[in-house]
Formats: sequence, C-alpha cells, structure tokens
Amino acid sequence: MVGMTPLLIGIILVGLGLAALLIARPSVTATRGGKILAFVTLFIFPALAGFTGTAEHLEFSKSTQFCLSCHVMDDYGKSLRADDRSFIPAVHFQNHLVPRDRACFTCHTDYAMYGDLRAKLRGLKHVYVYYLGTPPDPIKLYTPYQNRECLHCHLGARSFEEGATHTQEPGLLERVKLGQFSCLSSGCHNIVHDVKGLKDVKLWEGGGR
Amino acid sequence: MNVWKAGIERRLQISGALIALGLVVELVSLLWSHPAAFLLFLLLGGSLMCAGIVIYLTSLVVHGPSVGGGDQTPATGAGVRAGGE
Repeated sequence: MVGMTPLLIGIILVGLGLAALLIARPSVTATRGGKILAFVTLFIFPALAGFTGTAEHLEFSKSTQFCLSCHVMDDYGKSLRADDRSFIPAVHFQNHLVPRDRACFTCHTDYAMYGDLRAKLRGLKHVYVYYLGTPPDPIKLYTPYQNRECLHCHLGARSFEEGATHTQEPGLLERVKLGQFSCLSSGCHNIVHDVKGLKDVKLWEGGGR
Repeated sequence: MNVWKAGIERRLQISGALIALGLVVELVSLLWSHPAAFLLFLLLGGSLMCAGIVIYLTSLVVHGPSVGGGDQTPATGAGVRAGGE
C-alpha cells in the first residue's frame, strides 16, 4: 500500500508503545498527565488509526493490484495486456488512456453521486462471494455497461466528437451521448475483455507489472 | 491499593491490551495486499479497538468521581485531585 501508510504505521507503532506502557504500569493514570496519556492512548490513537486505516484500505481498493489479486480476475488482468488493438481495455491500459495503477476502477465505477460508495459495497459483496459462495462463470456486470462511464473521459474529445465513424450517420453521436446507443454495440467497440478468446491472443510483455 | 483503584487499573489494562491487539491486526492488514485484508481490518481489528475504547469509556463512567457525593474516594482520582499533583 502507498499514500498514508508510513504515517499510519507510525501512528500504530506509537499507539502500541503507549498501550504497552499503560498495560505495564496502569498506576501512571493516577496523575493528571497519566489521565491525559490514557485518553490519548485508549481513545485518540485508536480512533485516529481506525479512520486513517479505513481511508488507506479504501484507497488501496481502487488499485489494479487489488482487483487482480483474486484468482477469478486473472484472465481479466491478462486481457489488459492483449496485443490486439480491438481489445478496448488493452488499448486504454497500454497507452495510458487510463492510469495503469487504477485501470479497473477508472472504467468500472459509476460516475454518479454515489458511484464510489456503490462500487465499495459491491466490492464487499464480491469478497463475500469469493470466500463463501461461488463466483459466477463468466463474471457478469450487475447492469449493462453505460456510455456515461466512457463519456466521462471521451466527451468533448476531438477524436470522439469528430471521429469519422461517429459522424457518418446523422444523429448517432447524440444517441450515444444520450445513452440510447451503446458504445459497446456490435460492430463498434464490442470487444472488451473477451476472456474466452484471450487464449488465441498474444500478450504484450512491456510496461512492467 | 484499594479495590477501587485496582478495579479501574484492571479495566485500563484490559482496554490497553484490546487496543494493542487491534493495532497489531491493523498493522498486519496494512502489510497484506489482498481484499481479505480489509475484512480483517474491519471485522477483527475494528471490533478489538471498539471494545477497548468502550471498556475505557465505561471505566470512566463507573469509576469516575461522584458528583456531590462526599463519601466516595476514587483512588485514581479521575479529575477529583486536579491541580493537586
């Protein structure tokens, strides 16, 4: 994990030291300073560590490493490295069109008011199914993929607004923007992860892990 | 050491032990890069730390100074002997 981890580890270690002191010598709380020490050790530090730890875990849950750490996601991770430009996730991942360390989260969170929260709750459900249930095969999205998730980045981009395919049919662009015509429609950008066809595709080795 | 003092000190020790355990669990969960780490942090670490905090706060209420009562002498003197130490 990154980000606040060094600070959090510092908080935890100091908290542990203070807790050890209180366990070994509880009589220090007889003084006013000892009472303050007890309050800091037994209330402030755990609360601080709890909040910071939650934030750290939630932040880490957005990472590609986190998503691909479950076995069932292996093939989806491989599809990011497909050496085939028709694979939409691979093109985005390999060309830095999405941050590589947040590749999954960038496209698979709902860009709406409660998108992040909804994604987290679903994530908890996934962990439950992973350990206590049977993950579906193949894995399916809860709802059809929405254009909104694509338009979050592509709306207004010249390649999107003036693209030959997008403009050749009158009204198509508007229908795409209104979500009436899916970006993933057949004949458009319909090859997404395609894990079934992945075994025949060469994988890109570059870009590190 | 009177019974009162022994009682609050015992509770503080239990609270400190639970919080220390919770912090250790949190530390382990931070160093483990896996989705289950969050569950470990939340369910086990969170429960231990919450229990520790609750025991500490309860001990303040149970063993705290009596308001207006003259016959009780809190041995650890939570606030009673403020300024006198």
